[in-house]
Amino acid sequence: MFALLKRDLYLALYSSSSFFYTSSFFVLILIILPFLFGTNDVQLQILFKGIIWIGLSLSILLTMERIFNADYEDGNLDIILQQNPSIEIVIISKYITHWIVYCLPLFIVLPMLSFLFYVSLDNIFLIFLNLFFGSFGMVFIVTFVSALTLGAKRTIFLKAIIVIPLFIPFLIFGTNLESWPILLALSMMSFVLSMYVSAYGLRLYVE
Amino acid sequence: MNELKIEDLTCYRGDNLVLKDLNTKLKSGDSLVIRGSNGSGKTTLLRVLSNFIKSYNGKILFNDHNVLEDANYRNCFNFVGQKNSLKDNLSVKNNLKLWEIVYKKNIPYSKLLDDFNISHLMERDVASLSDGQKKCISLLRLNFTESKIWYLDEPFVFLDEENSQILIEKIKNFNNNNGIVIITSNINLHNTFTNEINI
Repeated sequence: MFALLKRDLYLALYSSSSFFYTSSFFVLILIILPFLFGTNDVQLQILFKGIIWIGLSLSILLTMERIFNADYEDGNLDIILQQNPSIEIVIISKYITHWIVYCLPLFIVLPMLSFLFYVSLDNIFLIFLNLFFGSFGMVFIVTFVSALTLGAKRTIFLKAIIVIPLFIPFLIFGTNLESWPILLALSMMSFVLSMYVSAYGLRLYVE
Repeated sequence: MNELKIEDLTCYRGDNLVLKDLNTKLKSGDSLVIRGSNGSGKTTLLRVLSNFIKSYNGKILFNDHNVLEDANYRNCFNFVGQKNSLKDNLSVKNNLKLWEIVYKKNIPYSKLLDDFNISHLMERDVASLSDGQKKCISLLRLNFTESKIWYLDEPFVFLDEENSQILIEKIKNFNNNNGIVIITSNINLHNTFTNEINI
């Protein structure tokens, strides 16, 4: 598993833009807000709690093609599956790298953005916790949808239609500042579902 | 001495019968060319032999062990498919680095690229290379494993005469070192490899 992790992290490092795409996208979505709704600090604080989840959802959605599809299209998935006897280990490794490459940068820019939106320090911590536990669940969801639709070309809209309704529970509970245990539970349920369905999707591809 | 035996292999893809009652036996040092028209099942056969496709009738035995039950079999072969397994946005060097990590084997890159006399391409982006150059790099994966069998799917496609000759020499060297090679091809290799079946 560590070889695959290392390989995916190197791949992200070599395509260094990967780290910046999602965080730039995330920042841009947040920057648009004051233009639309004015600079009233109370209003911005309320909007901030919701819009970060929209930003996170879109960032994860837009990068889902890179979980399995990129390796499938260039043939690397065959090498990965041959070198790793357990499909489950391949899937876990993809969860970890996808979170590190596409979610972790968001957590780095989040504190800075929170101050811009007048969010108090206590709230920042709770938002952080919510996003942390919720983002894992969202990565689990896009991973299994990515595995299930492997090989289907130009299906980003189809994938979005499948994924967005599954994100709704995360968005509902994510905006409530003290609901991190529920998000953790949702993520754990997503993990169980995702492991099973992703393994099924990859086995279908292999067959 | 290694032996690969295919017994009564039959494989369906969906409702289509792709392989029917295929029998053959290969020993260390043997090469086999599989010929057939487009869609005749050449790639499917190699994917079955590589254990990617596991639902088939018949038996594939490597040294008398059924390959479906032999956990070590995956270390015994190297499969080079029609896709090049290269990341277009990366340089050749970085692509080799990724393979090095996955295969857990370090080989000096310049020595690797010298196989096909392409060491000058080391820093080039894969996207800027010709299909033939990409194919040469793709075939370098054969050096990353100590496998006993090579499964090569259309390895001569895009290769010019000089590089085809280099590949033929590599295959013959591998045979001389007791390796078994199965090649699918649309082109006539009868003068080079005498062992040939049509499917």
